Amino acid sequence: MAAPVIDTLAGERTRRTAPAPRNGGRFSVHFAHYKWLYLLLLPGVVYFAVFRYAPMYGVTIAFKDYVPFLGVNGSPWVGFRNFEDFFANPDFPRLLGNTLILAFLNLGVAFPLTIILALLLNEVRLSILKRTVQTLVYIPHFLSWTIVASLSFLLFALDIGPLFQFLNNAMGTHIDFLSDPAWFRPLIVLQEIWKNTGWGTIIFLAALSTVDQDQYEAAIIDGDGRFRRVWHITLPAIRSTIIVMLILAIGQMLNTGFEQIYLMTNALNREVADVFDTYVYFVGITQGAYSYSTAVGLFKSLVGIVLIFGTNWLAKRFNQSGLF
Amino acid sequence: MIHRKLSLAAAVVTATALSLTACSGGDAPAADLTSVSIMAPFLEAQPPAADGAVQKKLEELTGKQVKINWAPNASYEDKTNITLAGSDIPQVMVIQGKTPGFVKNAQAGAFWDLTDKLDKYPNLKTTFPDIQKNASVNGKVYGVFRGRSPMRAAVMFRQDWLDKLGLQPPKTTEDLYKVAKAFTEQDPDGNGVNDTYGITIPKWGALGTNSPYDLIEEWYGAGNRWTERDGKLIPSFETDEFLEADRFIKKMVDEKLINPDFATFDSTKWNEPFFNGKGGIIVDVDSRVSVLINLFKQADPTNFQNKVGFVGNLEGPDGKLRAHPTDGYSGFLAIPKASVKSEAELDKVLAFLNTMNGKDVAVLLNNGIEGVNFTVEAGKAATIKPETPEGKAVSTDIKSYAQLGMNVAGNQFYPVKQASDYEQQVFDKRTDVMAEDLKSAVYNPAAPYVSATYVAKGAQLDNIVADARIKYLAGQIDEQGLKDAIKLWDTSGGNKVKEEINKLWQDNK
Repeated sequence: MAAPVIDTLAGERTRRTAPAPRNGGRFSVHFAHYKWLYLLLLPGVVYFAVFRYAPMYGVTIAFKDYVPFLGVNGSPWVGFRNFEDFFANPDFPRLLGNTLILAFLNLGVAFPLTIILALLLNEVRLSILKRTVQTLVYIPHFLSWTIVASLSFLLFALDIGPLFQFLNNAMGTHIDFLSDPAWFRPLIVLQEIWKNTGWGTIIFLAALSTVDQDQYEAAIIDGDGRFRRVWHITLPAIRSTIIVMLILAIGQMLNTGFEQIYLMTNALNREVADVFDTYVYFVGITQGAYSYSTAVGLFKSLVGIVLIFGTNWLAKRFNQSGLF
Repeated sequence: MIHRKLSLAAAVVTATALSLTACSGGDAPAADLTSVSIMAPFLEAQPPAADGAVQKKLEELTGKQVKINWAPNASYEDKTNITLAGSDIPQVMVIQGKTPGFVKNAQAGAFWDLTDKLDKYPNLKTTFPDIQKNASVNGKVYGVFRGRSPMRAAVMFRQDWLDKLGLQPPKTTEDLYKVAKAFTEQDPDGNGVNDTYGITIPKWGALGTNSPYDLIEEWYGAGNRWTERDGKLIPSFETDEFLEADRFIKKMVDEKLINPDFATFDSTKWNEPFFNGKGGIIVDVDSRVSVLINLFKQADPTNFQNKVGFVGNLEGPDGKLRAHPTDGYSGFLAIPKASVKSEAELDKVLAFLNTMNGKDVAVLLNNGIEGVNFTVEAGKAATIKPETPEGKAVSTDIKSYAQLGMNVAGNQFYPVKQASDYEQQVFDKRTDVMAEDLKSAVYNPAAPYVSATYVAKGAQLDNIVADARIKYLAGQIDEQGLKDAIKLWDTSGGNKVKEEINKLWQDNK
């Protein structure tokens, strides 16, 4: 139940800051009054300033023609040229398209699946079975993408992979899953589901554990079936959690996962595989175009911020509690 | 964002590591160079120990404290850029090639221009001025190149299969087709099952990286990366011969003479089908011959002969031999201005490199320590058997130390004596074949030139054509699609690259 917690915090804040205006609104008086609280705040502020905000100084190379030898300060400013180059590049629409399609597929397929799996697990009454299944579905999350990609290569390898043989026998065709561009996105989404669905259920299961059991009993007495109980009691109860998770997921949406996609890319499917993350690596690290790839990365981050604020705004418009 | 954070973290880690290794002697005074710091890649699992026998001997022979900062080969280029942006810069840096990052740094003045300086040092004065020019950036020499034998292309095949089918080693590209077809269709392993194919090609697409595609295109006459047509330089993929060669490769793909998963097959497993009797031909560098022979030898030490056969470059369909040479160097040793500040200091570092490139050090870096891991027999270095732990350590270490070898006047060290007479024969034959092919070498005429547009986006541009080539071979696009991709290369910046390269070429003629 995330929303009430946030509301409580906001209420606290309002009450505590209230004395300041009464004392003439002067900051020094207010500060003197709360100096110990501010001192407590200090380590946090310093941490974020040093480790989160200071490194952002490096972002300035997006507006420079960065040469490592000259350093960040010595490299000449070029204004928005790197951004202009990027938007004018024929790669841009393709990258944007690929990134968005993969992002929406992950959001549209993998995200609902975590909720569905959580609901299913919640219906399991035998606690030992529930716990065992839960643990089993978590495990793939701890395998690295390299292992997941290697497994895919083994299973789908041309002519010798068991899944390759099974699926092609079943369909009576000859599809090379690993290099056919049409199969790239399904493979990526399947890998994502296989690896992360179980892990994604954790927070929903936590939210589900707080649902008032009395409501279920009342519903059973009223003669509601399982599906109606899930629809009218369980889902509304975790709605705010779903929305918060959705906003967070949308903020991360453009992070399509460098490793996974990089490992699954080859010359035949690159057309649909190239996303912002792999592109930044390719032009930035392998070709030394640091400024250009920083500009690309910065653009991606800006889109991420816009998406977060946009979803938050939408959530509030529909009278749901947003993230902030 | 994540990658930037990572690289920043990496920068911090590297800087710390550098300050730890270099603090005691990194800042050599100009007056007398007592120590030299070097950054170099290692290709083995572990870098050599700082107190190993090779290191001690190296310091003894050069009379300097030599601080080598070994960085893993896989991330070497990143490390180079990070190091240059930091404050602890070594006096000598191994640079692996004219990458965009290096060219940018060099043109911004990060390295000493050695164009007129090397001739003063007897061991740094090259006997291969063409290779030195290849290694230059538009004629400016920014480092002492690391010489490598320029002719390495070979076609390797299962000799036992060839003998069984009563075939002759291929001489022309047409022969290659015939052998590949026979290996695929005539059951060369005699198991009665149709389970072999001719040629194995791994996932490998980039242009001009000595891939099997590049080799066959050159044999067809497409040129080596760039070629002169009507008094102008054009990329080899804009020639008719390029299309012809790819049509030829496609025919082999369509007839299943090439492994069907050539677009995804892991290059580290390249030897496996050959060794396991699945794929009978590999088109690659001739040193793979020894690697393959060793595989068979390990499996069966008594009966490994005559499994691996090889020939050099193949004649094209017009009967002409156009051998595919490399650029003749593998990067260079550059001297950063940030750590070597004056001409006087530069002289001292160059004098040090001069010693490094003398016979004694060359033998140490490439053969090891005489009496510990090898002895000289008839002008050849023979490994001491059985290997002592000390000898083994030296043999392992020199695989990394060889990265510092420059050999700008040919190899100063001993050729390695092979383990058996058979292997010695094969080795000698390799030397002869490559020497013979070298006479027909067709070099890349644009090798010394670096166009500004190419530095900015050349690799992305090349990717357009390289991917299209694989797609065409796999049947995803037709020949028109391949031509369209080449046109796209032109219009996305390729025309400008051509213009710049031609201007540099004319100016330096």
